[in-house]
Amino acid sequence: MGRLLDVRDLFAGYGPIDVLRGISIHLDAGENIGLFGPNGHGKTTLLQTISGLVRPTSGTITFNGADITTAQPPKIVEAGLVQSPQGNTMFGEMRVQETLELAAFSRRARGKRNDNLRRVFGLFPRLQERGNQRSKTLSGGERQMLSIGAALMCEPGLLMMDEPTLGLSPRLKEELSEAIGKIASDGVPLIVVEQDIEFLLRAADRLYLIEHGEAVQEIDRANAPDHAEIMELYFGKAGA
Amino acid sequence: MTETLLATLVSGVVLGSLYALMASGLSVVWTTLGVFNFAHGALMMFGAYIAWTVSEAAGLGLPAGILAGTAGAAFAGVVIERLLVRPFYGNRNMLLVTVMTTLAAMIILEKGAQIIWGARLKQLPRLIDGEVSLLGVAISAHEAILLVLAPAVLIAIWRFTVLTNTGRSLRAVGQNQDSAALIGINVPVAFALAFGLSAALAGLTGALLGSIRFITPSMGAEPLVKAMIVVIFGGLGSLGATAGAAYIIGIIEALLILWLGLYWTPFVLFLLMIVVLVFRPNGIFGGRE
Ligand SMILES: Nc1ncnc2c1ncn2[C@@H]1O[C@H](COP(=O)(O)OP(=O)(O)O)[C@@H](O)[C@H]1O
Ligand SMILES: [Mg+2]
Repeated sequence: MGRLLDVRDLFAGYGPIDVLRGISIHLDAGENIGLFGPNGHGKTTLLQTISGLVRPTSGTITFNGADITTAQPPKIVEAGLVQSPQGNTMFGEMRVQETLELAAFSRRARGKRNDNLRRVFGLFPRLQERGNQRSKTLSGGERQMLSIGAALMCEPGLLMMDEPTLGLSPRLKEELSEAIGKIASDGVPLIVVEQDIEFLLRAADRLYLIEHGEAVQEIDRANAPDHAEIMELYFGKAGA
Repeated sequence: MTETLLATLVSGVVLGSLYALMASGLSVVWTTLGVFNFAHGALMMFGAYIAWTVSEAAGLGLPAGILAGTAGAAFAGVVIERLLVRPFYGNRNMLLVTVMTTLAAMIILEKGAQIIWGARLKQLPRLIDGEVSLLGVAISAHEAILLVLAPAVLIAIWRFTVLTNTGRSLRAVGQNQDSAALIGINVPVAFALAFGLSAALAGLTGALLGSIRFITPSMGAEPLVKAMIVVIFGGLGSLGATAGAAYIIGIIEALLILWLGLYWTPFVLFLLMIVVLVFRPNGIFGGRE
């Protein structure tokens, strides 16, 4: 069983102060992982650094055996490591279908554009209905669908999703979580950042608790502590 | 009376065609990079000189000259982006810094042209000699070609940005750089492309204008100012709004020249620009946000 993603001792941030302080996480082929933890502790920064948008100050990132620590974002997408970022509004003036077609920009995705478009519309029929609408006119849930749909158009070999259900109604949350389940069962490995532990326990095989820019706890679903214990771990520490 | 009015309208539309080419170049760079390129007029001048060099000095003919002027300006635009704009991406004061670096590029191009091509006035021949009658007004055949060519080029660029992946990537980068990068678009390449395309439009304008006016190192200054007025008037957004505003400004300018004379026309144009800025900050076609 190969190691798909390996993040080792990563330090990164936006200025003189590092947000990530020696974080290490990994994902093996065949599993999905979840990241949770209090706000402002570096989950988004971790995904942005993996995607090449934030430059690490030290540490390594390996994807599919290749060192991508200092690679530029397009190179990383071309390798199949794709992100649907947090609160993503994509391109407000662009139409939905146009955006999805454009997302098949990389060489790796170009040839599969029509297949993937059908797949995305199958997953999110609402995007097809809204195909001609400008993205800025979409609702919050629809924007989230577009963001995930665009990531799927990149033909991901590993898909990272940053709080895909943030701020959505329970009904929409259910709808998205179902779609995410389908993506996983289609064989796309996932890294999901979420506050909703219930949701994560359903979607992921392993969870990391992220605090102060480090993975302070790793939880295996197979021999997971019960739910109450995780909640205590989370809220107990976060509250402290 | 109606004849002079018609003649004025026609000359306004000719002016508008030139402004449309210039202003849409300016707006491509602004909407993609968020940079206001003060070297845009100098790139126009550079295109005119290259066209003259290829067409007249080398004797290869005007069509070859126009192509070379367009390509030469595009190349100069890419070089300016690489050396004077790209180092400042992500800089907190990028807008201000690039105002200064593109002003520097303007001065370098103007002085360079003076050194290379000298102070003697140059002029290009016309694409075709003779006159054409439009609405009963006689205009030169060269201007008639301009009338047709400008909208054709703009429509081609508009289709390019709507239909092709590369064109769409320019719009995407202008709207959200991070999202563009996350779907695999190479943002610096898109920036260079936008600059090249914009400069190509300036070079084309220069090569066409070189048959109507004299080619001088400072010939780009006035068209740059007009393009700025157009861009403010139309709002920085869609190519269509910019082109529409260019024709309106061209016609207004021609009418002002008829009624007030050359002396007062720039004054009134700037007044109009200030009025638009006060009452419709996003331009007459822009939304109110
Ligand atoms: N673009 C940015 N510039 C400066 N600081 C930032 C930026 N984005 C996030 N931060 C800071 O980095 C820290 C971690 O933020 P983030 O990675 O978004 O956490 P999380 O996703 O876990 O909520 C926070 O203190 C936040 O204020
Ligand atoms: Mg976050």
